Amino acid sequence: MTTSAPLRSPLLYESWVFARQHFIHWRRSPLVPVQSVVFPTFLLITYYLLIGRSVMRITGSDSLYGLVPTCAIAGAFSGSLAVGLGISLERDVGLLSRFWALPVRRASALTGRLIAEAVRTLVSTAVITAVGIGLGLRFRGGPVELLLYLLVPVMVVIVFAMVVIAVAVRAKDGTVLIWIGLPAITAVFASSGSPPIESLPSWMWPLLRFQPMEPIVESMRTLAQGGLPWWPLLWGVLWTIAGAAVVGPLAVRGYRAAAESGGVRG
Amino acid sequence: MTAVAALTARMVRNTLRSDLPFAVLAPAGNFIIFNLALRNVIDTGEIRYPQYLLPVIIVQVTLLGALTTVDRATRDHQSEFGLRLRTLPISSLTPLTARMLYCLIRGVVALVATIVSGYVFGFRLLGGPGHFILFVLFVLALTLALSLVADAIGVGVSNSHIGKTGGSSQILLVPQMMLTMLSTGMAPVDSFPDWLHGFVRYQPVSQVTDTLRGLAAGNVAVSSVASSFAWCLGLLVAFGAIAVRMQRRTQ
Repeated sequence: MTTSAPLRSPLLYESWVFARQHFIHWRRSPLVPVQSVVFPTFLLITYYLLIGRSVMRITGSDSLYGLVPTCAIAGAFSGSLAVGLGISLERDVGLLSRFWALPVRRASALTGRLIAEAVRTLVSTAVITAVGIGLGLRFRGGPVELLLYLLVPVMVVIVFAMVVIAVAVRAKDGTVLIWIGLPAITAVFASSGSPPIESLPSWMWPLLRFQPMEPIVESMRTLAQGGLPWWPLLWGVLWTIAGAAVVGPLAVRGYRAAAESGGVRG
Repeated sequence: MTAVAALTARMVRNTLRSDLPFAVLAPAGNFIIFNLALRNVIDTGEIRYPQYLLPVIIVQVTLLGALTTVDRATRDHQSEFGLRLRTLPISSLTPLTARMLYCLIRGVVALVATIVSGYVFGFRLLGGPGHFILFVLFVLALTLALSLVADAIGVGVSNSHIGKTGGSSQILLVPQMMLTMLSTGMAPVDSFPDWLHGFVRYQPVSQVTDTLRGLAAGNVAVSSVASSFAWCLGLLVAFGAIAVRMQRRTQ
């Protein structure tokens, strides 16, 4: 494929080639950048304009520290969904099968896809946080906190991307993805801390406290405020590992079946 | 059976089954989520939040429905069937008319779903039959106007890559969100930062939700109805002209 010297780890190198294929694709068709950066950025701005004053009046604290992580994760999710919209098409035209037939490790097409998602999330989180700083967020943590803050959404999106892949390779077209996206993004917003949890009906509190997005958003909020959130971070990692253990095999098996199908026309 | 009736019936049979859950669940879900999230946050004074919120949910659902219209128009126009229709001795506007009739049917379903979920959470229609008829007419006029522009966009992008992946509707989520969330439909104008008041107060979603709220309460100012009527009529004429042009252009 290229003449440059092979890196020490061929799997990583091959994955990177596949990841670059996605970057080129996203640069040419604007859907994924729009969904992963433009949409969440505007969501952050509009939602903050809508509730900022009211939440400040009620709680006396700035809702921005909850909203910036919320929008970063929601944006990572909606970006993955946008990528997922194209997967059924790639399967039907036989692109996935062509990758399958290339003389490379077969895993690298899938790992490359996940690496591309991770890089995309890293960039979008940075952009959204920068916009948040423009709106008045002050990141009080040091370099370690910043690194962890940027890596938390990456960790979550890898599992979410596996869910999207597992569903999209089996689906007829992209519309079914709405049914994953809606509850996922609702769960993220329910953990934003705005509305204050006390303003919701009491029967919902356990539901809100123990859902997987709560420790994730809580970790990012604490990191931005300059603390090290051991417990939320541990919970978030446990949720992520459990999620990956369940959907990982489903994604791999579904992808294999789709790649071996040869497409509907080819 | 006329061509329009046949095409509309085909559309209802083909699409309503996949579209219906979304048409019913989107209003119910949006109403429940925004009502839960904002009812104790936003101060609406005398009026209770479900009563305040429902009109903007109707407008939002209409906008979201229009987004599905974009994808449907794209599919309909670029498909082999769409190509075949353009060779038949029927008006080039027949497929457009059928799609619009379908949008109105879908709009009625969504409106019923919204009002039912509103009633569960404490929304009430307090006006007389006249108010109610005007309420429904406004919603349908808005549905038609937004469906027309959505259709024009869908037909316009039907040959591009973004149209083929079904993603054109996603991009329109951003203006949809800004129009509904930065309006007095979600919160009274005082909740927004001062510099934004001009936009929030005079944009069309604020005007229309204000009128719908008045009609639901059975107590509406004539000036409010007049300004919403002007918006709806203006949008219908402008968007209708664009949609007809688009449909004819790609002959």
